[in-house]
Order: sequence, then C-alpha cells, then structure tokens
Amino acid sequence: MRKKIVPILGTALLSLGLLAGCGAGKDKEATATNSEDGIKIAVVPKLVGIPYFNASEEGVKKAGKDLGVDVIYTGPTQADAAQQVKVIEDLIAKKVDVIAVAPNDPAALTPVLKKAKAQGIKILDWDTKADESVVDLSVQQIDNEEYGRHMADLLVKAMGKEKGNVAVVTGGLSANNLNTWIDWSMKQIKDKYPNIKIIGEKIGTDEKQQVAYQKTLDLLKANPDLDGILAYSTVAPLGSAQAIQEKKLQDKVSLIGVALPTDSKPFLEDGSLDTATLWNPINLGYLTVAAAKALAEGKTIKDGQDIPNIGKVEVDGKTIILGPPSDFTKENAGDFNF
Amino acid sequence: MLKLSNLKLSKEWILVVVLAVLFIFMSIFAPGFTDSYNLTNMLFQIPELGILSLGMMAVIITAGIDLSITYLAALIGVIIATCLTSGMPIGLSIIIGVITALAGGLINGFFVAYIGVSPILVTLGTMTFFKGVVTLITKGNSISGFPEVYGAIGNNAILGIPLPLILFGAVALIAWYLLNKTVWGRNVYMTGNNPIATMFSGINTKRVLIYVYLFSALMAAVAAIIMTSRYNSAKVDLGSSYLMQSLAVAVLGGANISGGYGKVIGIVLATAIFQVLSSGLNLIGISSMIINILIGVVLLSVLMINFFSSKWESVGKQKTI
Repeated sequence: MRKKIVPILGTALLSLGLLAGCGAGKDKEATATNSEDGIKIAVVPKLVGIPYFNASEEGVKKAGKDLGVDVIYTGPTQADAAQQVKVIEDLIAKKVDVIAVAPNDPAALTPVLKKAKAQGIKILDWDTKADESVVDLSVQQIDNEEYGRHMADLLVKAMGKEKGNVAVVTGGLSANNLNTWIDWSMKQIKDKYPNIKIIGEKIGTDEKQQVAYQKTLDLLKANPDLDGILAYSTVAPLGSAQAIQEKKLQDKVSLIGVALPTDSKPFLEDGSLDTATLWNPINLGYLTVAAAKALAEGKTIKDGQDIPNIGKVEVDGKTIILGPPSDFTKENAGDFNF
Repeated sequence: MLKLSNLKLSKEWILVVVLAVLFIFMSIFAPGFTDSYNLTNMLFQIPELGILSLGMMAVIITAGIDLSITYLAALIGVIIATCLTSGMPIGLSIIIGVITALAGGLINGFFVAYIGVSPILVTLGTMTFFKGVVTLITKGNSISGFPEVYGAIGNNAILGIPLPLILFGAVALIAWYLLNKTVWGRNVYMTGNNPIATMFSGINTKRVLIYVYLFSALMAAVAAIIMTSRYNSAKVDLGSSYLMQSLAVAVLGGANISGGYGKVIGIVLATAIFQVLSSGLNLIGISSMIINILIGVVLLSVLMINFFSSKWESVGKQKTI
C-alpha cells in the first residue's frame, strides 16, 4: 500500500503547484484587462527576453494604457518560426481582434496568418515585413535603404578615410531585415566608396553576444590589417566591441553597430564601439499598438500625421514608417532609458 | 478503493493521471481551451514534436542521445524544398529527402557503432555539420513557394482528423511494432541495458545501433515533411526549438537516459502533456518565459515521482523476498 502513496501524492502536489502558478498569472491578467468588449491587440515579437524586444514591450504596454485597449505581448522564447506559429495559433484561439507580428521567417507565417484572417482577425506586421499579400498594415521602424546606406556612411566617418578593409558581423545569417540592411550597406560602399574592400563572407553569430565576441577575436587575429567592422543585430556589436576592447584595438579598428544605447554605453565610452545606430524601440512598440487600434476601428493613418507621444510618421501605401534612425554616441548614450 | 490500490501505477499510468488532471484544469481555467478551434489546433501542433521525440527515444533506449535530429530535419526540409521549387514532382522530392535522411542517419550510426565515439560527441559534430550544410545551401534565407498540393500534408484534415496526426499515429504504431514485436526491437532494449553482454550473446550490436540511428533519421524526415508543408517554408533554424523539447518529452515519457527503457505510449502521452501545458498556459495569458519554467517544474516533478516510485518498488520487492 505504502508504495502507491508516493506517486499519487506526487501527482497531487504537482497539480497543486501548477494551480498556484496559473492562479497568479490569471490575477495579473485580470488587472491588465479593463473591459471585456474592448479591442484586443496581440503583439508578437521575434522572441521574448532580449533587451530590444523588452523595450518595445514597454512601449506596447504604455500604448495599451494610454489608448484604452487590451494588449497582449507574447512570443517564442527562441527565434524559431515553428514556435512563433504556435504562439499565433493560440492567439487565434484566444479570439483577439488584431495580431501584430515581427516574423522570424516571413514565408513560414503565411499559412497561419491566412488562417487568422479567415477568422476575421486583422493582421499587421512590425519590425520585419511579413508576406505582403496577407498583411493589412505594416509598421516599419526605418526605411531599410536609408538605414543600410547610413551605416556605411557612419563607418567611413569613423574610419576617417574612404579606403580600407571592412568585415561584416551579423546576428543570424537568415534574418531577413539584417540581410536587407547589409545588402544596402554593401551597395552604398560599392557606389560611393569603391576603395573599401569587404573581407570574406558575412559572419553569423546566432544572436549571441558570446559567439560574436569569439568570432570577432578570430576575425581580428586572422586579419591584422582590418580597419572597420559593421555589426548588425542588437547583440552582435556588443560582442565585437568586447573583443576590440580586450585586444586594445579601439583606435585601429572602427566599429559601427545596430545597438541599444544603454547596452552599448560602456563600449561607446572607451571607443571600442564608435557609433551605435538604431531607432527608438519603445516608440516602435507604441506606434504598433496605435496603428493596430486605428486598423481595428477602420481608421487610416495619413502621411505626416502627428501621433501623440511619437511625432510625425511617414506613410507609404500600407507601410507606416517611424522615422529616421537615431545615432547614439558616447556624448548622448546616457540620455536614453532603453 | 480496494481496486484503486490494486492498480499498478507504472510510469505510463502516472502520465495518464497527470495528463487528465492538466486537461481538466485547463478546461476550467483557460478561456476557450475546449473550443473546437483550439482542440483542432492542438492536434495539429502535437505531431512534429511527437515524431521527433520518438526518434529521440529510440536513441536514448540505447543509452545514446541524438543532438543532430532537428538540424537533420532542417537539412531534409531544405533538400525537399529545393527539389520542389525547382519543379520536381512531390513524390520524387520526398524520396530524395528520405535518401538524405538515411545518409545522415548512416553517418551518425557509423561513427557511434563502428568508430565507437560517444553519441553525444558524434551528434554534436553532425549537428554543426548539418547546420553548416543547410546554411551553405540556403545562404541563410528561407526557401518557400511549394505547390499547393504539398501544403495539404500539413494543413488538411480527413473527417476532422488532421493529416499530420494520422501520420503521427501511423508512425507511432510502426515504432511500437518495431520496438516490441521484432527481434531488432528486443535487441535495441538489450543493447541499451548491457551492450557487452548483448554482444557476447551473439548479437551484432553494431548493426542494431546503425538501425537505431537510421530510425531516428527517418523520424526526422517525417517531421521535416510535416513542418515544410505546414509552414510552406524551409530554413536553417526551422524547428530548432524542438531539440531540447524532444529530449524533455522523451525523458518525461519515461525513457531511461542511461538506456534500456522507453515506451512509445509514454512518448505519446508526454507529447500530449507538453501540448496541453503550452496551449493552456498561452490561453490563460502567461508569459512564455514563465511557461518554460513551469514545463521545467513538471519535468523535474515527474522525474522525482518516477525515481521515488521505482525506489519504493524495489524496497517492496526486497521485503517480499
């Protein structure tokens, strides 16, 4: 008899533990939800738990409060398209009114977004474009061409010369937006700075700072005549900067990266990272919710319209653009809280 | 009451109880959990993870581990996708995908069985290798735009039963038959329990191991077909989140990481538990970071229950002797 008690007891305990966990979650949601028949907007990032998407979550939550809509911010814990599809399928079951998604793999989301559309859910993409035929509206942080070219210009400015050897470090080799920026940067270099040589293929770093650090160390060792690095994704520049800092190459190797000011502040201060450039992710989250609300209410946002707390936005067809990029240097990095 | 105490609480029965409790709990607390939409949803989501976990379990029974399974699946998916987009017929594309799978499984099996490198090292190596090959083929981009018919495999249902689920059922039945009703199956368990004794009893353990890795590669192929069809796309990291999950499912399903034990029904139940947990918690609106913690807690709890119940059992047995 005794030996049967343990498993039964264990099972009961386990269920109790789960109950406690769920109960807590439910209370939290109840306070965040103010009206049952209000507009429910779900915002899905590429993944949760990295500084960039935490900052946009802040904007999403703030907009939810300001605009009086229910917002859900949920996403996969890894940048895996399969996991992201599951999250969206669960959101459809939850009967939200709008789904705004930053796709990991635009093509992989097309079937599930079509399914959502069939259920009467409005579809938005933000941060990265999804399949254009399924989205109702697209919120973009930046004009990709302008941004890619801007990064190349920044690097030349930091190197102080229009020739030299440059390497490219990126977060994920398959990340669509990163690849678009890289392509535009390369085009800018080809068009405007023909004496700059790109060394090797772009180096993927799995969206991990540690990997970026390691690969940059290898890169510096293999190319003693390196003059500059362009680092894409919000973690790669930090790893690269760490490597430059360790090798004390601040004055020799220029680094321009896509990074958040608070993360990059220590590296900006000692010059291992010359300039970080990005948009304001909090505003991006805010604008996404504002656009989603307008979409749900059947309103349209016009070119040059002033969005409260954001400022004027550019509108090009179905695309709303947040504005020009912001550059963060050692002088201004302390002024931001993301 | 008397009857209940006679009911032997094996690992698998514990899983049934956990699944039932969770299901009832979610039905009460998760809004929309019992909606037909959500139920169908879950049935569509179960197969990929379940099939990969079956492959993982077979390897674990031989005291091995297959870290390359998801990237092999990605490689197979990309090969199939490349064939499809270059205009090959669906059947031929799938056959080429299966050949890729067999080649991948053969590499794993050869190094483990004949060179004698430990499985974790071999599959770590092949994982990186497969990932590299996929990145080389795709340059990191995704391949998409398959014929509409192909999309039916992952997205259609027959009489309300999702096609992927039917595939999962068929694969699980075949796996059950192979592991329980064939000589090879018995040899797999024996090799896992004691490879040296098995070898000395005249069984070609090397061949047994090769077939185990071929089996897991074939599971990767089936999962790859379902995934590429369901998502209409193939990419290097498609399904990469399933690696740790399939390991967790295999262990939760009762597979003994030091070899010799593991049942198909345990895997099916464990996959269902994972699904109920993740869908239910998503519907309640719990952040996915916390969902990971809760799944970890469930895993640890079930392992603890298994540990103590087997301990009590052996104590009980000693007493009767």
